Amino acid sequence: MTVNKIITGLSMIMRILIRQKIVMILLLIIPAFFLTIVQLTTSNRILPFQLASVGDDVFINISENGISFIFFAVASTGFLVAFLALNLIQKNNAVNRRLIICGYHPIELLISILLTLFLVIVFIAVYVGVLTNAFFTIEHIGRFIFGLVLIGFVYGSYGMLVGSLIKMELEGILMIVLLVNIDVGWLQNPLFYAEAQNQAIIKFLPAYFPSQTAIISAVTDYSATTATINGSLYGLVFLIFSMLIFFYKMRTK
Amino acid sequence: MILNSEHIAKSFGKNKVLKDISFQLEAGSITGIVGENGSGKSVLMEIIVGLRNADKGSVNRKGRIGYCPQKVLLFPHLTVQEHFNYFSVAYGLSSAQSKKRSEELLQHLNYKKYQQEKIINLSGGTQQKLNLSIALLHEPDLLILDEPYNGFDWDTYQRFWKFTNQLKKQGCAILIVTHLLSEQERLDRIYELKNGILE
Repeated sequence: MTVNKIITGLSMIMRILIRQKIVMILLLIIPAFFLTIVQLTTSNRILPFQLASVGDDVFINISENGISFIFFAVASTGFLVAFLALNLIQKNNAVNRRLIICGYHPIELLISILLTLFLVIVFIAVYVGVLTNAFFTIEHIGRFIFGLVLIGFVYGSYGMLVGSLIKMELEGILMIVLLVNIDVGWLQNPLFYAEAQNQAIIKFLPAYFPSQTAIISAVTDYSATTATINGSLYGLVFLIFSMLIFFYKMRTK
Repeated sequence: MILNSEHIAKSFGKNKVLKDISFQLEAGSITGIVGENGSGKSVLMEIIVGLRNADKGSVNRKGRIGYCPQKVLLFPHLTVQEHFNYFSVAYGLSSAQSKKRSEELLQHLNYKKYQQEKIINLSGGTQQKLNLSIALLHEPDLLILDEPYNGFDWDTYQRFWKFTNQLKKQGCAILIVTHLLSEQERLDRIYELKNGILE
């Protein structure tokens, strides 16, 4: 394994990503669009919000638009990172195999992809965090951005898993949209969650711990350590499976 | 001997594409493989290169391999020069070697003016020139070409054969999949892949 190969891979993958117009458009427009919709459709009434990962009887009072801004920031970060991770792992699959025949080790290529994904997650988390703060003042902006990095990690790993498993682009996007919509876009919504009949199922979904981390970190002084560790483990499982599948498919015979 | 393949067999479901393929390649030779569409030529090339597993048989290769796939395999959003840089790193070439070799190939196949163009902006023929150049970049000992001149104009086609003959003189073993029986006189040996065996 050589550092030169990894750095060259990282540099080339970043160029490929940045030069795709659709990527840059989605990246800049989706969060702004989501947050503008929240601004236009939510009220300032105060709602009790259950911090389920802290304790069943722990509630905070927060405005409807405040919690919605935080929730949609999490949703847009999850969706964007999952889509970009899918794009990274799936789009140039055949050319990546050619690189491996020519001398790249699958692990060198995988590290380059993971480093690119990490930079993408940090960029999106910072951008969405700062943008959210422009709409609604976040008490702990640094911790909130960390929560967004965590949802990026979990959904980025999920995107990589889908991209490793599924060959066709459209089916891959469908898998991403389906889970993001059901999990982040619906079941983790605090307004739905509080009234949900079977909250245990919701707790097993990938976005549960990262969205708890983001919300707890953003507006309370409670510790989000447990939710962060659980979220990281969830992301790690996705990541390990995706790496194994990638390695298996990419190895030379 | 640069390449020795013995008793290669490959099936897809019930379809036995390759039944029992054995052949050798010597240094400084050009060998052609012809066959109808779907006869399994590209599958055989992919097994030789290491992209696919054979169900049975073995392939022994010596030296550096250059592979030009039938389908153009390039990154649409990278430039021609970036491809040379990326694949040079893969081959383990120094930047001086990479610069010298890419310059030679750009001149020889006559597409230097597109050096800084992205692949999505290039014609099919120019993309194919780069597809071929990547296989030649590290001066391979064994060159495997799967219909390498699709989309080439007459001048480039002639340049291609001139270059291939130079490589042969330098001791490179070349295996080329072709549809054109008119190329017979350019080849040292020609096989026809028919019903899963080489004739």
